[in-house]
Amino acid sequence: MKNQDLQNNQEYKYGFTTDIENIKAPKGLSEETIHFISKIKKEPKWMLDWRLKAFNRLKKLKEPNWQKPKFPKINYQDLYYYSAPKSMKDKPKSLDEIDPKLIETYKKLGIPLNEQKKLSGVAVDAVFDSVSVATTFKDELTKKGIIFCPISEAIQKHPELVKKYLGSVIPITDHYFATLNSAVFTDGSFVYIPPNIKCPMELSTYFRINASETGQFERTLIIADKGSYVSYLEGCTAPMRDENQLHAANVELVALDDAEIKYSTVQNWYPGDKNGVGGIYNFVTKRGACRGKNSKISWTQVETGSAITWKYPSCILQGDNSVGEFYSIAITNNHQKADTGTKMIHLGKNTKSKIISKGISAGKADNTYRGLVDIGRKALNSRNYTQCDSLLMGNKCGAHTIPYIRNKNSSSTIEHEATTSKINEDQLFYCNQRGLNQEEAVSLIVNGFCKDVLQQLPMEFAVEAQKLVGISLEGSVG
Amino acid sequence: MLNFKINLNEIDKIGKFSKEEKDFRLKNLNYFNNVGFPNKKQEDWKFSDLREIVSKNFSKLNIKSSEQEKSKINFIKDFEHNYIVVINGRLTVSDFRFEENDKIKLKSFTNNDFADRKENNPLINLNHALSDKGFFLEIEENYKFKKILVIYNLFTNDLNEIILNSKNKIKIGKNSELHTLNLIINQSEKNFFNNVYENVVLEKAAILKNICVQNNKSSGYFHKYSKHELSNASNLTTFIFPSGLKFNKLDLEFNLNGENCECNLQSASFLNKIDHQEIKTRVNHNSPNCKSYQKVKNVLDSESKGIYQGKIFVKDVAQKTDAYQLSKAILLSERSEFDSKPELEIYADDVKCSHGSSSGSLDKDSIYYLMTRGLSENESVELLVNGFLSEVIESIKSDSMKNFLKKKLADQLNGYKKN
Repeated sequence: MKNQDLQNNQEYKYGFTTDIENIKAPKGLSEETIHFISKIKKEPKWMLDWRLKAFNRLKKLKEPNWQKPKFPKINYQDLYYYSAPKSMKDKPKSLDEIDPKLIETYKKLGIPLNEQKKLSGVAVDAVFDSVSVATTFKDELTKKGIIFCPISEAIQKHPELVKKYLGSVIPITDHYFATLNSAVFTDGSFVYIPPNIKCPMELSTYFRINASETGQFERTLIIADKGSYVSYLEGCTAPMRDENQLHAANVELVALDDAEIKYSTVQNWYPGDKNGVGGIYNFVTKRGACRGKNSKISWTQVETGSAITWKYPSCILQGDNSVGEFYSIAITNNHQKADTGTKMIHLGKNTKSKIISKGISAGKADNTYRGLVDIGRKALNSRNYTQCDSLLMGNKCGAHTIPYIRNKNSSSTIEHEATTSKINEDQLFYCNQRGLNQEEAVSLIVNGFCKDVLQQLPMEFAVEAQKLVGISLEGSVG
Repeated sequence: MLNFKINLNEIDKIGKFSKEEKDFRLKNLNYFNNVGFPNKKQEDWKFSDLREIVSKNFSKLNIKSSEQEKSKINFIKDFEHNYIVVINGRLTVSDFRFEENDKIKLKSFTNNDFADRKENNPLINLNHALSDKGFFLEIEENYKFKKILVIYNLFTNDLNEIILNSKNKIKIGKNSELHTLNLIINQSEKNFFNNVYENVVLEKAAILKNICVQNNKSSGYFHKYSKHELSNASNLTTFIFPSGLKFNKLDLEFNLNGENCECNLQSASFLNKIDHQEIKTRVNHNSPNCKSYQKVKNVLDSESKGIYQGKIFVKDVAQKTDAYQLSKAILLSERSEFDSKPELEIYADDVKCSHGSSSGSLDKDSIYYLMTRGLSENESVELLVNGFLSEVIESIKSDSMKNFLKKKLADQLNGYKKN
């Protein structure tokens, strides 16, 4: 990238807000709020009951406090749990009916909402604040029997699927933030791939928090039926605000026999300014269940944004011969904090898992890898390989590795490796010698360091992610 | 569940104390009584639920220990050595026949430190409250021991449902050097709990080499917290060879406070039956240019459980740190379990820190190869296990010590064949 471009990009480029009239739920967390959300979504009674059950459970739960990054107490009564663009109240039938301002926002974000962008071959579901605003390529997907729609629509149109799978991977009795999400989730994407269908294009969701004092609680449910395949992308941005905003999403994946789900995330929520003011609290629960034989779930994440990232995309390997993968890059700069990693729970025979994690911290940031590999007594002949590398830039940041490794049978093998170091002076010198300036050199070396993970991303995302890696570290060396 | 609250009057039964000391003991006992034996909800005890283990195996815990002070000891004849004899935690006899006696101070331990520190481990509080024995060994400056010092830790056969609390301190002066062998001999076949608090201080350029060996398998429940303080250019090496206890937790803390110091920990253990062993380390790199090295090897058979929790902490000033940590385990039985949590917490950038952890079964091809050469399957396994664990012994320099340890290891593996 040219120097000029770098300068232009230095600030968080997604930090604009869009002036759109919003409908908000009454402030605060109460049964009333949940009734409000459920009513506005025209949900059936079973869904409301489900939410209330979660809410009752929530009253008994406490926020977890074992994480590395500490944060001031969140006042859950001071948040809006539902915020939607007013013009969305009666859902638009086609893209033409969408508020042009919204379209403009997505243009700024570079999201291919327009069908004209067919060539890019990505079907998009865009979630603005709490509501899914548009889903593209619906017809083509419907022909194949694939369901890709906002989850609120799925609750109405495909209640049998939602009832069967919602909460089956992340039960409503899970930890605090997951339960909170179950009670107040507003929208998100729903994907169902019928048996033996390979989804012909990448499915993608863009999340954006716009309104202030709003929490975003979306819920994604992806079901890959026998022998199917789907690749799903997720991107997120938010405007710059000096308050902390909460984002507590739940993502559930279910892979049946011989199915494969590939889930990629480029997370670029607003990270707060240089002094650590503002930014998103990204407390997300992502979990996938390899229910069937020979199923596979692969998580890839590039985490560059958020003031605090706290999430562990996990795989429960139930089916025999199932495979779980986790590829992660977490970059923290300034005052950002990340506590992320994965859980691989081996239950079936011959299950395999692989974890590659790259953490980079600069400025005054803290970056923690925390992971669990648990091979159960009956998971014979299972295999895990874990590699987590950390790179430190400057002496005010921290890099931590906290793996939990449990092996409960003798036919399984676990390997774990971790290293922590700084950028090699010789490599920097070599790059400088070839005419690269300090920042370009760092960007190049870091991209090389992350290569194993970047390779896993779908093409369009890989390019964006590479740029992000460079931008996120600007000003951290020299 | 059994209630293991300890009556506050017990403190008076141990002895007469100054007001300050009594307050200190009471405060710690109250703390222990509030928390009780740690369970798996506490992060440091995640893999060893001591509360469950204690309530399953003990019906009561007596504080008053046995008064037996004489017992037959089989002194080691393999090499010449000085010795200290500690019976049930109490210092009894010592012999420094190869050394200059004025350079060595040895006495029963008396605690003078009543500072109120926040201890995360309730067993340390328990020790603070009830400890009434132990030794204090001090080596003067500029003195190098000529022969190894063997510390015979004897547990007599009348120990039953008793908890022993002792405190030891070893202080090595500037430029001095000491080699010790800690030998644990257990004659009791009943359940008892041994809770030790140890403090090791190395002054400038001091050297301590310590080997800890358990002579025989036993049904003791051991917990030892050991705090090591290292000054400039000092060097500490510790080898640990446990042979299996019903419960054994070593909680080792190494503080590298001075520049250029080095700390080395290696362990090899063979566990079977229902042995439960945990090694927990915390290496604090508080100064630049220090080195630490940890290698923990476990072989697990039957229903044994091995745990390694290691943490390397590097402070922001501790540049040029070189820290390494490796844990390897071989599981021989479907019912054995190995858990590890190798942690890195790093705040300095110019460092080299890495860890590795692996666990798995023995290589089938290797066993097959040995069997084609005429060994039985058991013999092949034994040979491979021996090779795996001997690696640690091989890094000891003294030949007589190496042979002594190899013999001990062979004895242990012999037990495997019989099973």
